[in-house]
Amino acid sequence: MTHAAAGTRKGAETRLLQAAALALLFLLLWLATHLVPQTEQRVGTIAAVGFLLLAGTLTSELVELIGLPHLTGYLIAGIAAGPYALALIDESSVADLTQVNSLALALIALEGGAHLRISTLREGVRRLAWATLLQCLAVPIVVGCVFMALRRWIPFARDLPAAGLAGAALLWGTIAITRSPSATLGILSQTRAKGPIATGTLTFVMTSDIVVVVLLASAMVVARPLLDPAASFSLHDFETLGHDLLGSVALGTTVGLLLAAYIRLIGAQLIVLFVALGFGLTGMLQFLHFEPLLTFMVAGFVVQNLSKQGPKFLEAIERTGSIVYVIFFATAGADLDLQKLRALWPIAVALAGSRALVTYGAGRLASRLSNDPPMAKRWSWAGLVSQAGLALGVAGVVSRTFPMLGTGFGALAIATVALNEMVGPVLFKLALDRSGETRSSQKTPPLTG
Amino acid sequence: MNALLVLMGLLLLSYLGSFLVGDRSIRGFGLPSGAEYVVLGLALGPAALGLLDRSLVLAFDPLANVALGWLALLIGLDYGYARDGRRVRTARIVGSSLIALVTAAIVGMATWFAVGALMGLKGDDRLLVAGGVAAACAETTRNAIRWVVEQHRAAGPLSELVAELAACDDMVPLLLAGGLFALRPAAHLPAMMSLGRFELLGWLAITIGMGVVLGAMSTLLLAREFRRDESWIVLLGMSLLGIGVTARLGLSTMTAMFVVGITVSVLSRHRIAVRELAANTARPVLHPALLLAGAHLEVHPSSLPLVVAAALLARGLAKFFVGRALGVVSPPARKAGALLGLGMLSSGALAMTLGLAFALRFPGPLGDTVLAVAAATTILGEFVGPGALRISLRRAGEISPAPASSETADPAAAAAP
Repeated sequence: MTHAAAGTRKGAETRLLQAAALALLFLLLWLATHLVPQTEQRVGTIAAVGFLLLAGTLTSELVELIGLPHLTGYLIAGIAAGPYALALIDESSVADLTQVNSLALALIALEGGAHLRISTLREGVRRLAWATLLQCLAVPIVVGCVFMALRRWIPFARDLPAAGLAGAALLWGTIAITRSPSATLGILSQTRAKGPIATGTLTFVMTSDIVVVVLLASAMVVARPLLDPAASFSLHDFETLGHDLLGSVALGTTVGLLLAAYIRLIGAQLIVLFVALGFGLTGMLQFLHFEPLLTFMVAGFVVQNLSKQGPKFLEAIERTGSIVYVIFFATAGADLDLQKLRALWPIAVALAGSRALVTYGAGRLASRLSNDPPMAKRWSWAGLVSQAGLALGVAGVVSRTFPMLGTGFGALAIATVALNEMVGPVLFKLALDRSGETRSSQKTPPLTG
Repeated sequence: MNALLVLMGLLLLSYLGSFLVGDRSIRGFGLPSGAEYVVLGLALGPAALGLLDRSLVLAFDPLANVALGWLALLIGLDYGYARDGRRVRTARIVGSSLIALVTAAIVGMATWFAVGALMGLKGDDRLLVAGGVAAACAETTRNAIRWVVEQHRAAGPLSELVAELAACDDMVPLLLAGGLFALRPAAHLPAMMSLGRFELLGWLAITIGMGVVLGAMSTLLLAREFRRDESWIVLLGMSLLGIGVTARLGLSTMTAMFVVGITVSVLSRHRIAVRELAANTARPVLHPALLLAGAHLEVHPSSLPLVVAAALLARGLAKFFVGRALGVVSPPARKAGALLGLGMLSSGALAMTLGLAFALRFPGPLGDTVLAVAAATTILGEFVGPGALRISLRRAGEISPAPASSETADPAAAAAP
């Protein structure tokens, strides 16, 4: 029904059955929420998890019919049941689920790190360097310029002075370079794609996380005096950043080595261990102000590259994937504020469109400079459009640090990320299918470059 | 202590649970009923050391609800089958249900009088406590029977009979709980579905009907070929949805999930695979649930010890009569003598989880009384049940003297009562 079955043809009877089951699930939750509109004890959250798990999976099966990725199905199920559409899942349940997502993010980062192999990194270092350089230069500059050009239609930017507008554009540009490790891994988990596009995208997206953290700190240092004339230029943020990054890498290495030792010596009940790590270590990391994503990614990387336990570790973590991705993306869908999207969609489309265009251009140029194979030249940019939780997290940090931008900054970020979240996975899957890197596409002769 | 530490502690228990008692053999550390986790929860909880304060315990109620529902699903999946996967004869299922019904009736009546006289409860409150206590006291835990049989390598018709009776007595208490929860649903039926004075039956039908529908949907979605990951999604999703919806409606989550389990067991061609998939989770889920149940224990009304004593006495008497009645209808049971009934006093997971379900649904003296009786019956059963059963099996000639010498050589046996 899910990833393992990707690519298999299913009969009309099965699809009808899935559609009927989906309708019945919606009906059941609708009846329950209408009979008892208010609940205690967070029982709504329990039902919400079950519903999203089932409805997300069934919807993903149905959207597969029109070639859409499973992630899109999860998002659609979440959007439909969420508080901004049918309201079968209320806002407090979505808030509870968002907390649970720390577990999902930990697993996603562990998996992402475990997929990075030193040999692969060494092979693709030239491409990675060009892509990182061009994407990190071109995207913030172009998207920042578009942001400034559209200031008249952006409510919170309209009245900013020139310096403040430049600061806001710089911060917006930084958000634009964030990618979505979860979407990338989710698509790769579904398609089991193998090839230069899959590997290149994964390597770029996972390593870009570190780049984003550094660039965000730099952008905030520069933007602070621009947005707040009373503030002065201070390099103190870099000291904090250095502490955070080094601490995260050191702790991630330690966790990775401990994990490898555990798998070698005991090797059982890895799921319970992952859950404990996801909640316990994330809580500790928040206390220490370290980067959870980086820490878990380094831990996964260490297990894969500094021990012989990589395959076993990856197998255990991928087994959780079918559940983790459904809940993560269906929750993201339920959390999607459709009202804000409706109000801001023209600006969001312009900003997301310009980001996609410059991502495309920078991707093509990077591929050309690193002498990629023809298919990679054509499609390597497509996996870089997705944005999800990381982008929203960065936007949240910016909103909290610069309250003078108001709630409008966060709202516009949500609207723009929502578009990228919906379009990005579709583009990435299309690229993998067209380039012949997915299992299903390998059955038919791939298109030539 | 903060919530994160408690969660880590529960995960640790869950982790240990998966190691200490394996699925295939019960020879391991710990008591067969898991009563030690109840005592640990009681010691850590607000009634004793106070390391877990009341608000912290309540914060884990949703988790406890999920654990109860999941355990009930596992009971349903296993219902009607012996340990070796053999289907238990219908006559024995009926007999087992009758024993549970008789025990529940005797305990329920005694508790009815006790709570009326000692706690001054009336009407639905009185019925809820008496019924809840009856449900929690009705079963004999299969783990304790298995424990005795495996520890002492007992073999013979009486061992088989007792094991099968213990394996099939879960339906009565769970249906009883469903009926009692239906007394106080969180909503009223819509006008078009209104049954007037029979609304209770309507809600009970909805509880069971929801279990059947979710079970049938699970069966359909489990597909023709069994796939592990997909089956997990279906089982977990359907369980969480069922637990959340029934809890929202104020109905018995355990009853609904038990019916889901039975429905899947009856309809699915993958019953054995599904059961094997889910069975490994039993202990890891049960131990944290028992700890939470212990932490929930409160001894509020001063008359509670008397109510508990009345319920325990009634249960002891009921089981004694059941033992005698078995002796009349079954020749192997006749050889075992008068202690056979007391050998069936062990209770455990189902009693405690039902007690916790009542405590979660009816917080305050009602739920606390049911939970306290469940804990007391579990702990008392631990002292009396295995010993009495061992003597009965020896009298019936199903335990040979030879394995007795190996008892001391087996560290697990030495650790057990």
